[in-house]
Amino acid sequence: MLETPYVTNYLTEHFGEADYPTIEGYERVGGYQAARKALREMSPDDVIELVKTAGLQGRGGAGFSTGMKWSFMPKEDDRPKYLVCNADESEPGSFKDRILLERGAHQMLDGILIAAWATGASTTFIYVRGEYAYPADQVERAVAEAYAKGYLGNNVMGTGFHHDVRVTRGAGAYICGEETGLLESLEGKKGLPRKKPPFPAQYGAFGMPTTVNNVETFSHVPHIVEKGANWFRSCGTEKSPGTTIFGVSGHVVRPGLYELPLGTPLSEIVFEHAGGVPGGRKVKGVIPGGMSMPILPAGQLDVPMANEFLREQKTMLGTGGIMVMDETTCMVRVASVVSYFFRDESCGQCTQCREGTGWINQIVNRIERGAGDEEDIEVLLDVAEKMEAKTICAFADAAAWPIQGLLRHFRDDFVEHIKQRKCPFSGSFEL
Amino acid sequence: MPKITIDGNEIETAEGRTILQALDDAGLLMNGVDVPHYCWHPKLAIDGSCRLCQVEIEGIPKLQIACDTPVRDGMVVHTQNERVKEAREGVMELLLINHPLDCPICDQAGECKLQDYAYDYGVTASRFKEPRRALKKNVDLGPTIVFDQERCILCRRCVRFCREIPKTGELSVFNRGDHSVIETFPGTPLDNDYSMNVSDICPVGALTTKDFRFKIRVWFLEDVPGICTGCSNGCNIHLGVANNKVYRYVPRRNDAVNDTWICDAGRMSYRDIGAPNRLRECEVRDESGRLESVGLERAVEVAADRLRRLIESKGAGVIAGLASAHATNEDLFTFRRFLAALGSETSGVAVVHGNADNLLIKEEKAANAVGAREIGFGDARTVVDRIASGAIDALISLGHDALQEGLLGSEDSLANLDTVILLDTHASELQRVAHVIVPMRHAAEKFGTFVNAERRVQRVVPAVESPWETYTDGEVLAKLGAALDLEGFDGRYDVRQVARDLAASNSAFAGIDLDSVGDMGRPLADSAASSAVR
Repeated sequence: MLETPYVTNYLTEHFGEADYPTIEGYERVGGYQAARKALREMSPDDVIELVKTAGLQGRGGAGFSTGMKWSFMPKEDDRPKYLVCNADESEPGSFKDRILLERGAHQMLDGILIAAWATGASTTFIYVRGEYAYPADQVERAVAEAYAKGYLGNNVMGTGFHHDVRVTRGAGAYICGEETGLLESLEGKKGLPRKKPPFPAQYGAFGMPTTVNNVETFSHVPHIVEKGANWFRSCGTEKSPGTTIFGVSGHVVRPGLYELPLGTPLSEIVFEHAGGVPGGRKVKGVIPGGMSMPILPAGQLDVPMANEFLREQKTMLGTGGIMVMDETTCMVRVASVVSYFFRDESCGQCTQCREGTGWINQIVNRIERGAGDEEDIEVLLDVAEKMEAKTICAFADAAAWPIQGLLRHFRDDFVEHIKQRKCPFSGSFEL
Repeated sequence: MPKITIDGNEIETAEGRTILQALDDAGLLMNGVDVPHYCWHPKLAIDGSCRLCQVEIEGIPKLQIACDTPVRDGMVVHTQNERVKEAREGVMELLLINHPLDCPICDQAGECKLQDYAYDYGVTASRFKEPRRALKKNVDLGPTIVFDQERCILCRRCVRFCREIPKTGELSVFNRGDHSVIETFPGTPLDNDYSMNVSDICPVGALTTKDFRFKIRVWFLEDVPGICTGCSNGCNIHLGVANNKVYRYVPRRNDAVNDTWICDAGRMSYRDIGAPNRLRECEVRDESGRLESVGLERAVEVAADRLRRLIESKGAGVIAGLASAHATNEDLFTFRRFLAALGSETSGVAVVHGNADNLLIKEEKAANAVGAREIGFGDARTVVDRIASGAIDALISLGHDALQEGLLGSEDSLANLDTVILLDTHASELQRVAHVIVPMRHAAEKFGTFVNAERRVQRVVPAVESPWETYTDGEVLAKLGAALDLEGFDGRYDVRQVARDLAASNSAFAGIDLDSVGDMGRPLADSAASSAVR
């Protein structure tokens, strides 16, 4: 059976069709018309302006304006320019890019061609996480098909535009999803994020001007070119237009992918689309956008899933990976799992991140074992604050935020562990 | 040029410099404006990872790291306010949670940046209740360096040093996160001509040299500025002195000479000072051919007698002078004057040659080859050739460089000489043919100047007092000159006056004396001799 989201929209509507992943299938539904239109009828500046007007925000987690990012690419520069497609989808709880690679590789390549035209890039490197073997195979096949058809290479669609696409596989480090960590890894080095400035637009892959976009971001682009900025803005919220693919996991009846307009209330996604918590149990907390985003308690689930609303609740959309936890969940164990992950994945360059992730994980584990003290909670908050916004990349923030979120909303869980000197949640998941 | 204000100090700085670089350029860093830092080093690529040098910049909400933030005209920077202090305390606490509390047995104690900054920004009690990270101790990284992984704070200066300076790249960070450790790959130990510099740049006691570790607590050492005399680069050093003994050389920063580095061979050359083969007493050869210990007066008397006899019978033309490129300008200038007053027509300077690289190590293995040539000494081959042709009966040799360089193949070529007068610091085969031997002081035991390969005049001052009855070439030659009634020699020798006389008589040295040359040296003026040599 073909894997397809439970709720589809323009990105995923054809994912159920058997031939859609092939170039013939993609073209049957109008594929590559957008790239053809951009290359033949639009100037690069027109494309950038269109994407800006459409208000497309990057779907990799930071939510930065895509058109703006493209406009940072230097125009008067003789160096070759590169695009990088970030297909390292390594955020725990996020699995939307996988299906976009498996089923929609041509849609992504369509968007890559348009972005390449807009930014003047000569080559795109698609960096696929090592664990995504099948998705990477699909992308490689799609790239080969596009070359065979003359959609990539020396004379794209007969326009004289030159563009190459190379597929690179990562080796499975979370930090290689950070754009400059990715660039280092792409160059064959250890994935250590680079200090900024210089930003990738000045000094990116192999030292050349580079724009890094997420798989989903590229996938939206052909639809914007084809149907226009107004059409795109008709969906989603004013500040966050378009759809996104929410990946729902955890304690829900129907875990899976849901392509929905940005701004869809979190409660609607969890309870209506994903069917709520099985067994009649109650929701305890929901992580709205992948593991690095602060958790929301059951009382705050009416929030529309768009950054302008989520920020008010001190969290963010992230990658749209929604993780639902029911009332049996021990939030100290959640903190333990989360902090172990970040301790293990920190690249170790910056002091705060290297030492802070380890310290937090050890304190949380001690509290979970029943050996915590009241003052440990203050230390946790203090260490998290010391890590926030003080390092080369946002990893330390990503490690600090979930701990801050868990303590903001579920401090009682921590206090109970300390009082009872054991974990009061016998029924919670095993570590 | 952008102007920035740092804690009220207005600094004008070059375009493209970062805040820390601007402070360093202005000579204010840790010298008026204290911005603590670990990963940043003036001569290595910016890393920006220790995060200790955070400062507040007006108009920017987040604190920024001073090492990597480029200056902008009109920037106002605060490095000492509460917010900055708090941020530094935060970093220090995190650096200290896993650091062993072994200062009492750590060699770095006393010159440890972790200790210093913990004193400034640390807390007295740790909130860290977990077991400290247990890592490898006493790791043998190579022939020169021992590594303590637990003390390492992962500033990665050593990693960058190996990649950027000797470009050998032996060290790497293995693993990631809080299990990161610095190691070498199997089969490629830390082994390059500059390896020991990693111990200087290591801000903590993680990297120590096998040579210096456990020798002495550093607070007993007095740092005396000096010059390495191992080659003509003349790397600036500090001689670490205690109990009238030199315990180590460490590089002293001089951007015009050696940046902040020194080669391992130069660093280890401190051992020459107290070496067992130092010459310790004057000797003269008696009629039976045996060397006999004498006082300096007697040695000078014997030397003068032998020379006078030759001058009377054959004239001064049979006397040759062989200078050493290890001798100071003052000694060489006195030798030059001595030979001229004597009427000797044959002289030259012997220079030992060896391997060179593009970094610091120079081909000429002595501190003062350029100075010797500048003062008028030509190639030692002239002397050697005239000895071989039988035209020479007496040789006055400063040092034994000619022997080392193989110019004088064996003692046989000298065996026929009537008189060999040797002024030297260390034992050599030359002693076997010498008739008068006077022990000399090492560069660490006297005042003087050298001219390095880049024509920079640099100074040495006595760091230790020679434990033996040793002299300088200049003072012995002054006495010998007086004993021979040479014009301009009255037996007195004042190194400062000689330096002034040199400056007065040789335009290249104009304006240079022992004081004005300073600890950082100054360039020699161009001269006819130098352009002839070049």
